[in-house]
Amino acid sequence: MKSNRIVDAKGLACPMPIVKTNKAINELQTGEILEVHATDKGSRNDMAAWVKTTGNEMVQEQEENGVFKFWIKKGSH
Amino acid sequence: MLNVMTAEQVAKTLKNKEELFILDVRNESDFQNWKIEGENVELLNIPYFDLIDGVEQALSQIPVGKKLLVVCAKEGSSKFVAEQIVEAGRENVHYLHGGMKAWSEHLEQVIVYEDQQVKVYQFIRVGKGCLSYMVLSGKEALVVDPSRFTDLYQKVAQNEGVTIKHIVDSHLHADHISGGNVLADATGASYYLMKSEGAVFDFKALEDHEHIQFELVDMQVLAVKTPGHTPGSVSFLVNDKLLFSGDTIFVGGLGRPDLGGKVREWAEDLYETVYDKVSQMADDVIVLPAHYANLDDELNQEGYIGAALGDIREKNELMRNKNKSDFIDSVAASAHSETPPNFEEIVAINRGVEEATPDRQQELEIGPNRCAVHHFA
Repeated sequence: MKSNRIVDAKGLACPMPIVKTNKAINELQTGEILEVHATDKGSRNDMAAWVKTTGNEMVQEQEENGVFKFWIKKGSH
Repeated sequence: MLNVMTAEQVAKTLKNKEELFILDVRNESDFQNWKIEGENVELLNIPYFDLIDGVEQALSQIPVGKKLLVVCAKEGSSKFVAEQIVEAGRENVHYLHGGMKAWSEHLEQVIVYEDQQVKVYQFIRVGKGCLSYMVLSGKEALVVDPSRFTDLYQKVAQNEGVTIKHIVDSHLHADHISGGNVLADATGASYYLMKSEGAVFDFKALEDHEHIQFELVDMQVLAVKTPGHTPGSVSFLVNDKLLFSGDTIFVGGLGRPDLGGKVREWAEDLYETVYDKVSQMADDVIVLPAHYANLDDELNQEGYIGAALGDIREKNELMRNKNKSDFIDSVAASAHSETPPNFEEIVAINRGVEEATPDRQQELEIGPNRCAVHHFA
């Protein structure tokens, strides 16, 4: 899936994956896609919950060799 | 200044019923599923990702002056949030060292009983509601329902100058990974469990041992067929004084079927256990279960989870003068379908059918203990 920007949060422990994702999405335009790579297992549940509370949209997620990948569409807030 | 609190300090706080305000910054579903609870604990859940741009919304809900503990899954996010709360000028702020992972793994050692022949320690896994025990006599010891943190039992044995000779599991656990096999390998002790539980490693079958004796201890093995819970479980009566009741009798009442779906069949076996075997035991026998549901309700004045059999009978109408069919109806009416998280995989590991790395074991055990919820009064 195409993305406008990628955040590499591999090897980072909670809360950093979400902190970085939050910062990056603030710099995107509504409708643009942010791709996030993380290895922290907790990031799966947290990312899903974070997306909901911030009004963004989880378009796709998958796991590849221990790396969780998320595609998040920026909402209109 | 930001302070740290260990799981051990949190356990003491709960046992002493001290006041504590907990800000749990995990996501809402993890929080709802499993949290630190106590009589004088006040809880607030705001996920850390709602506090990235500032902690104002949390500050307005946290009382000034009260001891504050910030909690998350592993530690990182709680520190992140707690530091901001300290920067905002608050005092008496703590984070939980090692997070809920450490909370799940902490064992609190308390003394239960001591006489000329025998001394008994209880190990309370406060984060999960699981109990294990060490029975010491002379130079030897026996461990009941060990958790996977086997180093602790070995350390206690060493401090007490005893050798662990026997290890027993009251049943095949579905909510946590047994340390029985690992502890037996490390100590050379005999490991006993019911053959009917289907373990594939070497062990001694409890079916073949009516008594386990060492030094001045005589432990009677009471087979309690409970097909609703697991295929076979047992209780252990030590020196006619202490009943290690497994999942059959709890401080709060009788055990109940949770994993089998054969409620009525199980209830019939339970009736026979209660009315044929347990009814023969004296009122002053101390009941020491494998689980509890509520620390505040079940921790007694002496500081351990347990009660005199007479008191449990007194509070539990089902254990007195019920006829069989009324008993079965009552038990069946309380049937419940909630199971412990990951119980199939945990059961497979405890049978030796599957293996898991320590990380995976930790992951499987995270969460509430649903065996303990399953008593009824």
